[in-house]
Amino acid sequence: MGEVILTMKGIDKSFPGVHALDHVDLEVRKGEVLALMGENGAGKSTLMKVLTGIYKKDSGTITYEGKEVEFKNTREAQDAGIVIVHQELNMLGHLTVAQNLFIGREFKKGIRIDDKKMNEEAKKLFDRLNVHIDPTETMSNLTVGKQQMCEIAKAVSFDAKVIIFDEPSAALTESEIEEMFKIIRDLKKKDIAMVYISHRMDEIKVITDRVTVMRDGTYVGTLITEKCTKEDIINMMVGRVIYEDPKTESAVPKDAPVVLKVEHLNAGRMVQDVSFELRKGEILGFSGLMGAGRTETARALFGADPKESGDIYINGQKVTINNPQDAVNCGIGYLSEDRKRYGIVVQKTIAENTTMASMKDFMNGIFINKKKEVEVADQYVEALATKTPGVDELVVNLSGGNQQKVVIAKWLTRNSDILIFDEPTRGIDVGAKNEIYKLMNKLVAEGKSIIMISSEMTEILRMSDRIVVMCEGKKTGELDISEAKQETIMNLATREIE
Amino acid sequence: MKVEKIKQNAFVKKVGFNRIVLIFVLLLMYLAFGALTGGSFFGFSRIMNTLNYVYFLGFLSLGVTFVIATGGIDFSIGPVMFCCSLVSGYCLTTYGVPMAPSLIMSILIGVLFGVFNGYLVAYWKVPPFIVSMASMNIAKGIAAVFTKTQSVSWPQSTTDDGWYRNFINMNGIPVGLFIFLGISVICAIVLNKTKWGRYILCLGSNEEAVRLSGVNVKKWKMLAYIICGTLVGVASIFFVAAYTTVQPGYGDQYNNEAIAGCVMGGTSMAGGLASISGTVIGVFIISLLQQGILALGFTKEYQYIITGLIVIAAVYSDVSARRRKN
Amino acid sequence: MANKKALGKLKGREAMVLAIIVAMIVLFSILSPTFRTYPTLVSVLDNSYYITLMALGVTFPLITGGVDLSIGTGLVSYALIGGFLIFQKGMPVGVAIAVCIGFGILIGIFNGVLVAIMDLPPFLATLCTCMITRGLGPALCGGFGVSWPSSISADGGFRKIFKFVTAEGTVIPIGIVFMIILVAIMSFVLDHTRVGRYTIAIGSNKEATRLAGVNIKFYHVLAYVISGLFAGMAGVAYAATYATIYPGAGAGFELDAIGGAIVGGVSASGGVGTILGSFLGVIVICLMKVGLPFIGLQANWQQIFTGIVLIAAVLVDVLKKKKD
Repeated sequence: MGEVILTMKGIDKSFPGVHALDHVDLEVRKGEVLALMGENGAGKSTLMKVLTGIYKKDSGTITYEGKEVEFKNTREAQDAGIVIVHQELNMLGHLTVAQNLFIGREFKKGIRIDDKKMNEEAKKLFDRLNVHIDPTETMSNLTVGKQQMCEIAKAVSFDAKVIIFDEPSAALTESEIEEMFKIIRDLKKKDIAMVYISHRMDEIKVITDRVTVMRDGTYVGTLITEKCTKEDIINMMVGRVIYEDPKTESAVPKDAPVVLKVEHLNAGRMVQDVSFELRKGEILGFSGLMGAGRTETARALFGADPKESGDIYINGQKVTINNPQDAVNCGIGYLSEDRKRYGIVVQKTIAENTTMASMKDFMNGIFINKKKEVEVADQYVEALATKTPGVDELVVNLSGGNQQKVVIAKWLTRNSDILIFDEPTRGIDVGAKNEIYKLMNKLVAEGKSIIMISSEMTEILRMSDRIVVMCEGKKTGELDISEAKQETIMNLATREIE
Repeated sequence: MKVEKIKQNAFVKKVGFNRIVLIFVLLLMYLAFGALTGGSFFGFSRIMNTLNYVYFLGFLSLGVTFVIATGGIDFSIGPVMFCCSLVSGYCLTTYGVPMAPSLIMSILIGVLFGVFNGYLVAYWKVPPFIVSMASMNIAKGIAAVFTKTQSVSWPQSTTDDGWYRNFINMNGIPVGLFIFLGISVICAIVLNKTKWGRYILCLGSNEEAVRLSGVNVKKWKMLAYIICGTLVGVASIFFVAAYTTVQPGYGDQYNNEAIAGCVMGGTSMAGGLASISGTVIGVFIISLLQQGILALGFTKEYQYIITGLIVIAAVYSDVSARRRKN
Repeated sequence: MANKKALGKLKGREAMVLAIIVAMIVLFSILSPTFRTYPTLVSVLDNSYYITLMALGVTFPLITGGVDLSIGTGLVSYALIGGFLIFQKGMPVGVAIAVCIGFGILIGIFNGVLVAIMDLPPFLATLCTCMITRGLGPALCGGFGVSWPSSISADGGFRKIFKFVTAEGTVIPIGIVFMIILVAIMSFVLDHTRVGRYTIAIGSNKEATRLAGVNIKFYHVLAYVISGLFAGMAGVAYAATYATIYPGAGAGFELDAIGGAIVGGVSASGGVGTILGSFLGVIVICLMKVGLPFIGLQANWQQIFTGIVLIAAVLVDVLKKKKD
């Protein structure tokens, strides 16, 4: 392996309420593939965004090719030779592959764009990388895998010296991954440095030279790939001391009735033959990494997205759920990940949001019984300790934690017995987090049942009675809390099917 | 945390302030026109003319307020209004259909277009501007075909059937004004105090959140267009009561003016925020403007230009206010 | 060719529209024996020029995902101004043509600023411009109808671009040649120049295009300028093919143009469309316009049908998208 081409030292970055990067170091060498690993929220993406100028660092230095640099935007980074191949592809679906590759820098013959030359150059580029893609094909007609390879080819065409792959294989087939690895090996020979962000252990083992692990915004350490084991890596990823007491045993009796049974749920690539049960009074944790398919499963179950097949039983009875209305009528409530976009109606008050799912209970003939709305909203504000000057306040003015409480109040008003919390404490400060946890425990003590999707290991271990782990659309494991350990869960979440 | 609060939330504050500004603008305009015309603007007939304009335009504006509240748009309202009065007027004068059923037919035609527009937008997700464009021309076409491209004159007030004019004016009492304000109040109640209005405003603000709360958003979105169609039908009655004759092929200018009145009054093009009282004041302003321009000797072409610029200004202030908030 | 598969798909759409055209001609001919005559052909073509020009221009804003509703009243307004200059101010026809087109470009820039820079919704912004141009023409010209010089007069030469009458009296609609040349030119612009390429890119993924370093504000405004330019040309074509221009006409013209474009394959959501498709779509609309009277339906039925056809075309696209 060659000399060091890029060093990041002591990188610090904070957002309001979140210390995203805490003195993080990174060192990349020419011709190497460096894996960058860590759980969701460990800071990998943030670090790369700081590098390529999307975020501005608070402190620390970046040294590239021996000089200190700070890129103001991705274009600058790109021109210098540092390129990210994104997870969400930035492509122009209606144009061809070649046109996408050279957008903004087309070959011209006078005023005429020389598409013929572009096709030839694209073909040459693909040949160099041993990729089989027709440059004249329309971008949106390609599989996601092939689109990704176009992105890689594009990065190479910029004479990149450092290429960052952000979860590159998530959407690729086995053979496409092999093709991509061939390209990577080729690029190594050309002395190009690569950062490979991924959670797939077997791939890391095959293609990378070193592994850098981050955890909770800090730099944990770097190992040489062939000299370490998967357990070593996992230990570094999760090796935190958990200060809050994790749950040691399930609070649910063995003979508790099953309130929800899902069998063979199928909804595209992200939900493949998922089956599970939820018992009364239980908190069922759904663990996994980003892209595991947990939200998609919840949405398919809730009728928010169409499903291909799957049977749902509530309290033993088979039910038909084709849209959210059906689900709500069956007593299911869904608190989505993205509160602002899918949870609350921003222009409306707390009272109005609280009754959104139960309007028929608040009618006085054809008029809305606003007095009752306010009364009920008040009750929940008090019960949930929502911090607000009054229920007439617009929800958009509340803090994240309090907004979440309003959403919870909405489902409580509806008397939903089965609640699906999708990342319930995301973007919420520690104090409010604990209040939400207390609330959840109180709800299950009162007989409600909760599915809790979470990417925070501490949260999963603290709250769940049982844990379902998913990885790339499949359920990879199910554990009782008494036998759950961080390492076991992480193993299941990173494609190690036992 | 007990709540014995004054309803002073941000929205009310915003629109409240806006309304005061608008009323101020209205008064200022009135005085300005009066001054510029050397006092002749304050005459009784001038007031009557303005009111006549307010009625039909007001109903159009009220209707389109509901549609804009869902985040959509309908600029077929003018031609549809003409279609209503042309078709039913033709039935009245040529086929001898009695007055009362003719009036009802007028409204029903509006409802039908509302159903058509609403169905395509809500259930088929056709972009609202395309539906408007198509509807607009279908309405014009139907009217022209039905009346064989002839204009239609509704009965004079002196005839037996002339009683319909009492909607506007009965022995000098501006009945129309009471009806208009009355229906405005009903609209305000529907929008702010009923389930219909609640759902319409919420889905305009955040359709997915409302859908995920278990509400059938398609139904309520379509309803907004149906309400609009109904009010357009009502508008057609007030149009003929004031102006007697309708000609096929017209109606476009009223689209813009109705939307202008609505947007000026504080209703946001993005949906979710709507004010009936603001729309009412906006309509008065537009009507006054139209009268004023005529009184000053300008032709109606200038009215088109000014209305166009006003809408641009109103929408731009809405857009930039939203951008600042983000 | 650059875009093989896409061309295949769109060629499919264009072939389908061509088939529709043939079917319509056959249908009308069967239902009315007088349809298939030379004068009818001339009539169809005569009616098509100004609509075709509008459609060629409006294809650009449509492909960016927007729309230009001001082209209808606009072209009438510009023609009014041009005619006014000839008759009230005694200007030569050449100047009138230049002013007509110049106004189109000006309004196009105005539209572009409203949509691309001030970020107003395209349909609303151009609806307002539609109103403004509606008033502008008559306001500047005193509100009277106006006629451009007739073909027999000295200045009438410009009409010869569209219709050439030989000494024996046969009418040759050579305007169609002019149209075909323009279709070829604009196809080239859309397919092979950066203007066209970035127009499609903006419609496909505006943000990605911006990140690629393209000056999207410039190209976005340009799309509307092109639309305005062609609206100006359409004004000239309109003046050349019709005897008198009345103020207040024009509302509804844009339906024919936009409807034609969408029938021809332009997507209302942007990113998709060809010039040839728009042209063929316009032919469908014009055939309908001229043909309906032959089967006993007066001209106003055409408005109804065009509206229905527009909705049907969009529904077809919606259904196809659902299937994917």
